Amino acid sequence: MTTSPEPRRGRKPDRVDVCIVGGGASGATAAKVLTEAGARVAILERGPWLKPKDFSPDELANVNRFYLTPDPLLHPRTHRASADEPARVSRFSPTPFIVGGGTAHWTGWVPRMFEEDFEMRSRHGEVAGADLADWPISYADLEPYYDKVEWSLGVSGDAGANVHEAPRSRGYPLPSLPQTRYAKRFREGCEAAGHGSFQMPIAMRGKPFGGRPATLQSAFVQTMGDPSGTRGGAAQTFVPDAVATGRLDLRPDCYVRELTAGPEGAVTAALYEDAEGVLYEQEADVFVVACNAIESARLLLLSTSAAFPDGLANHNGLVGRFLTLHEYTEAIGVFDGEPLYPWAGGGYISAGTADFYATDPDRGFVGGGLIAAGSAGFPLPVNWSLPEKPAWGAEAKRIDREYFNHSMSAGIVLQDLPQATNVVDLDPDVRDAWGVPVARVTHRAHPNDIAQANWLVDRCGEILDAAGATKVWRNYIDSITGNAVHQHGTLRMGEDPEASVVDAACRSHSVANLYVVDGSVFPTPSGVNPTLTIMANAWRVAEGIARARSAT
Amino acid sequence: MDTALTPQERATLEAAMARVIPTDEHPGAREAGAIDWLERYLAGDAVYAKPDGSGFQTLTGRLADAWERRIATLRERYRTGAAELDRVAGERFGARFAELEGERQDAVLAELERGATLTRERTQAAILEDELPFFALLALHTRQAFYSDPVYGGNRDQVGWRHIGFPGPATMADALEDRYTTDDYLA
Repeated sequence: MTTSPEPRRGRKPDRVDVCIVGGGASGATAAKVLTEAGARVAILERGPWLKPKDFSPDELANVNRFYLTPDPLLHPRTHRASADEPARVSRFSPTPFIVGGGTAHWTGWVPRMFEEDFEMRSRHGEVAGADLADWPISYADLEPYYDKVEWSLGVSGDAGANVHEAPRSRGYPLPSLPQTRYAKRFREGCEAAGHGSFQMPIAMRGKPFGGRPATLQSAFVQTMGDPSGTRGGAAQTFVPDAVATGRLDLRPDCYVRELTAGPEGAVTAALYEDAEGVLYEQEADVFVVACNAIESARLLLLSTSAAFPDGLANHNGLVGRFLTLHEYTEAIGVFDGEPLYPWAGGGYISAGTADFYATDPDRGFVGGGLIAAGSAGFPLPVNWSLPEKPAWGAEAKRIDREYFNHSMSAGIVLQDLPQATNVVDLDPDVRDAWGVPVARVTHRAHPNDIAQANWLVDRCGEILDAAGATKVWRNYIDSITGNAVHQHGTLRMGEDPEASVVDAACRSHSVANLYVVDGSVFPTPSGVNPTLTIMANAWRVAEGIARARSAT
Repeated sequence: MDTALTPQERATLEAAMARVIPTDEHPGAREAGAIDWLERYLAGDAVYAKPDGSGFQTLTGRLADAWERRIATLRERYRTGAAELDRVAGERFGARFAELEGERQDAVLAELERGATLTRERTQAAILEDELPFFALLALHTRQAFYSDPVYGGNRDQVGWRHIGFPGPATMADALEDRYTTDDYLA
């Protein structure tokens, strides 16, 4: 590591009411709510603010060359399975580092969490080796905010089609999108196997809604930026809403190195470096951390002070613990007959079933997960694959030709269990290109995770068999690799200051002007895609901040 | 920008790519121009196409440094790998790799493959080229050359996409100007 010269200091920007670190799904939601409530907000976003004209249908750049996601040569992370082995540099859970965050590359699956997901400890008690906890809020507390987010983004879906769904105050703003062939085939399989199914609610608009245009349907969606600017992501919706108030100052390419705390422990400023390497101090009344669970924990651990020698808000040593990640795995099938076009609409205009979501003690594990249709491996030509396909030669080419349009998956979102030993901390050896210690992930799957995943994979295989697949592969797992790019749990929300990092308002138990709005606060991860819940919770927390401000 | 490969290295690697995705009743890596894709990538100025497809982005700062390091490493791995292909071809069959007939080329490639750990992925996208040994890199890049947007120099006339029946955009600009959709491929 070369020593950098002492960085230049820039003139202090004007103090703001609220400083948000991170311009992704949760930060943008909080910014919308706070600016619309009259607050002056600065967002400090480490990555660039790419606009539709900066994106393209370029699989190579987006998927293989880190156009949106952290390049491990610049932003490495390290990973190990346990504390007694060395951590290796890894591209672990690569959420995009750009304005929009995870929603810059998502397709937009937005199922709500189920009622039981908020009560895992009460319902299942002590599970050996796991650290289950109830959420300090219930589904009913969050329901109004689910509704606000769905109606702000313009979600398409069929209320009630998922018979296991929790009560809703009203339906979706838009009907389901036209069905894809792979979703139809999946639903046929579910029906033949005796399971219910529904079209997956999705943050895409089949027609203009709420002043926003219909979503253009492309094959280049999953893991790709949006050149049309019409998808339901944070950068296409909540960022422009906040900008329209005139009270948002969104500063891209501004890397927050630490939050500085005063002698009393309250945060005084965010110390950040801009693209030219100049250091600035942003002062604010309230600071909101919204960097996603791995980077939010890292930022607090980097922010040491006399009051918090082990990291900001880390009064009990729990910052970084209970990391949960989900995991994707699936059964993959190939089909004769009509092509499935598994890239249409980006490969994930999908259908799912929640028949295997609720816990059944007879199965020998806690929890369950959504099963839904998708492509085999990845829906685009470069990265598509089938199990057992050779890496080269005539046979590999034949398989590409015969099955690219005739394959699909039924896949799962694994509901993994929190464990105190699954931790994000600072790597003692590895630094990023800015010379700052990187996040080290220590994570080992719980036996319950593996049992649940592989039982669900068998159900996926049965659905594809019932749908008429000529051959089915079941991709069993023996570890969690971070491939879902979902992150939760590192700054746990709870009532007890000794057992959690933030309270039910997502305010630090020990730092009065510090809030967290991303997935870090999830005590348990549920078995559904987290972003809708992250946005709904960020909306709830931001309303609380706005209310507290107006009360003073 | 320097030429990334010598004429002999280019001939060896072009022949090897033509065995990774061979020509059958459909065009293969050779017809797709995979070697041009590779040479352009290894020259270092074709990392990210401009979104409208009109050439390539100029990288700056730390990003440029990172890619320069990455590509220098890859270039070295290809030089060593091409030399290894010719060495094995010479030892076993007494000729340069490019001069062998297909089955013998495959035998040489299989010998190199034995030393390489190939990721038989359900996570193609998670493969990091930085860490791959030569043979795995060659297989990965041939696939990328054959199936990525033609702006990168391979997939010439969209032969890769046509081979598998993928209706990609005529140009990348089509997606920026909302002329590209998959609405015709639904249930």
